[in-house]
Amino acid sequence: MQTEHQIVNAVYRAKEDTDKADALIHSYMPFIRSQATKFMGRLCTDQDDELSIAMTAFYEAILGYERGRGTFLSYATLLIRSRLIDYTRKEAQHQGQISLDEEIGGEDERSLMDTLADERDYYEESAHREATRQEIEELAAVMAQFDVCFSDVADNCPRQERTMEACAKAIRYAGKNKKLLDELLRTRKLPLAQLVQGSGVERKTLERHRKYILTMLLIQTNGYEILRGHLYHVLKKGDTLV
Amino acid sequence: MKYLVMECRPGYAIVLGDDGTFLKVANIHYAVGQTVTDVVPLKLPESFAQPKTNHRRWISSLAAMAACMALVVSSIFFTGQMPYASVYMTINPEVRIDVNRRDTVVGVEGMNDDGAELLKGYDHRKKELDTVMDELVDRAIDMGYLHEGGKITLSLDGNDTWIANHGIHLDQHLNQHLTDKITVTIDIQQKQPVQAAPTIPAGTIVIPVGPDHYGDSDYGVEEESDYGQSDYDDSGLGDSGYEDSIYGDSVYEEPEDDGQTDYDDWSEESEYEDQSDYDTPQDDAQSDYISPDSTDAGADNGDSGYEQTDYETSDENASDYEDADSDYNN
Repeated sequence: MQTEHQIVNAVYRAKEDTDKADALIHSYMPFIRSQATKFMGRLCTDQDDELSIAMTAFYEAILGYERGRGTFLSYATLLIRSRLIDYTRKEAQHQGQISLDEEIGGEDERSLMDTLADERDYYEESAHREATRQEIEELAAVMAQFDVCFSDVADNCPRQERTMEACAKAIRYAGKNKKLLDELLRTRKLPLAQLVQGSGVERKTLERHRKYILTMLLIQTNGYEILRGHLYHVLKKGDTLV
Repeated sequence: MKYLVMECRPGYAIVLGDDGTFLKVANIHYAVGQTVTDVVPLKLPESFAQPKTNHRRWISSLAAMAACMALVVSSIFFTGQMPYASVYMTINPEVRIDVNRRDTVVGVEGMNDDGAELLKGYDHRKKELDTVMDELVDRAIDMGYLHEGGKITLSLDGNDTWIANHGIHLDQHLNQHLTDKITVTIDIQQKQPVQAAPTIPAGTIVIPVGPDHYGDSDYGVEEESDYGQSDYDDSGLGDSGYEDSIYGDSVYEEPEDDGQTDYDDWSEESEYEDQSDYDTPQDDAQSDYISPDSTDAGADNGDSGYEQTDYETSDENASDYEDADSDYNN
């Protein structure tokens, strides 16, 4: 009973604080792993995707748990199981295809992947990934000055297509007016009024997704070439139309 | 769609799709800066994804409360408009005046053509019963319905206390009102509720009887004794006698003939149990005769119908009476 209270409190703290949620997940890794193992019917290793899914499900359980609706761990068990079932169903569509790691007979245990010509340049790829990582870290640092983190942005991101389009309109407008971006960096305030005036999007919409728009504007400020390249379709759509 | 991994955490990863969406997805061994194509998005619980629901629920409960209030208020308001008692005023024009508990007139209606004529263009709203009566009498005088020496009949319809309270009061009031004008007789009486005459639905009863004595007298009140006793007395009572002598054996042996046996029951019942069954011509008799089920039931009883125990079941026997007639006549 006492332990149950502790975990309930821990869960409620973790709902507010992502770091605490991480800590909670870490401390319950054996539980999560045991659930995944039970589901898979074999030992679940760190390499298994199922473990990741189970961890995510545990995090969802933290967010979704409510006091007075049963014990947390049984809820988490249920959720982990459901998500693993979802995942296996989703993966089932790939059945009937051979894995690249499949061994193809022969003496020297060569896998199918080894026989294929490898067109990917691993060195360049890892360099590109490293560059991207740096860019993202920079961006995160700048965002921290605005007191925004990626988790906030993900929660704040528009989910409806129409809202998304409206926000993209404002973002494109800002991209074309570098003065706005400069002002943003200088005053550390989102120039909402000018965005509304310039893009014709309703202020309420922008207000509601303030963090998302802020991040997207920051991406357009300076540098972040890779990110901008990734978001090419969003940021340049207006140009292609005009 | 391509996703760029922005942040990795044990519980989830945040990716940026190339359509500009930030998503929380399951972190399947992702690393920051990696580009992935297939992601498993986090399913946020309802309460978390839509924190507004609480607000909405509050509003809806408020709306429900308001609706209830409106209902209560309107019902209170409309009960004031419900007629509580009526006064039928007959000069020659007959009008009905409906009043509520507080003697405020809630409706007037002409009961005949002259009454409708009298009420034409008359506005009764928000007037007391006395006022309306006075005004209507004045109108009747003006329109020539009421002459010197005429007669006004007031029929009161309502509960007893109301009638007791208002009978004399109305008389006095009208007399006082008419004192200076004309002299009329005022007759106060209690409205007799129109009694629904116990109509005998004789038309619906079809009795396939021959020309003999069963015809109408079966159901008739006055000939009941006749039917019950004189006709069947001899045969009907005794089981043995009934079987043997009068109706004949062949009749009993046939399966359709239960009617006969039940007929016997019927007559006996009528004699010994209630005469009153015959007096009330309405429900029992009618429905039972028509219903086909009861004849089936009668068929079952037919075999054993001769035993004493079966005589107690009155309904089935009664229902089988119809069959009995026809069979008997055959």
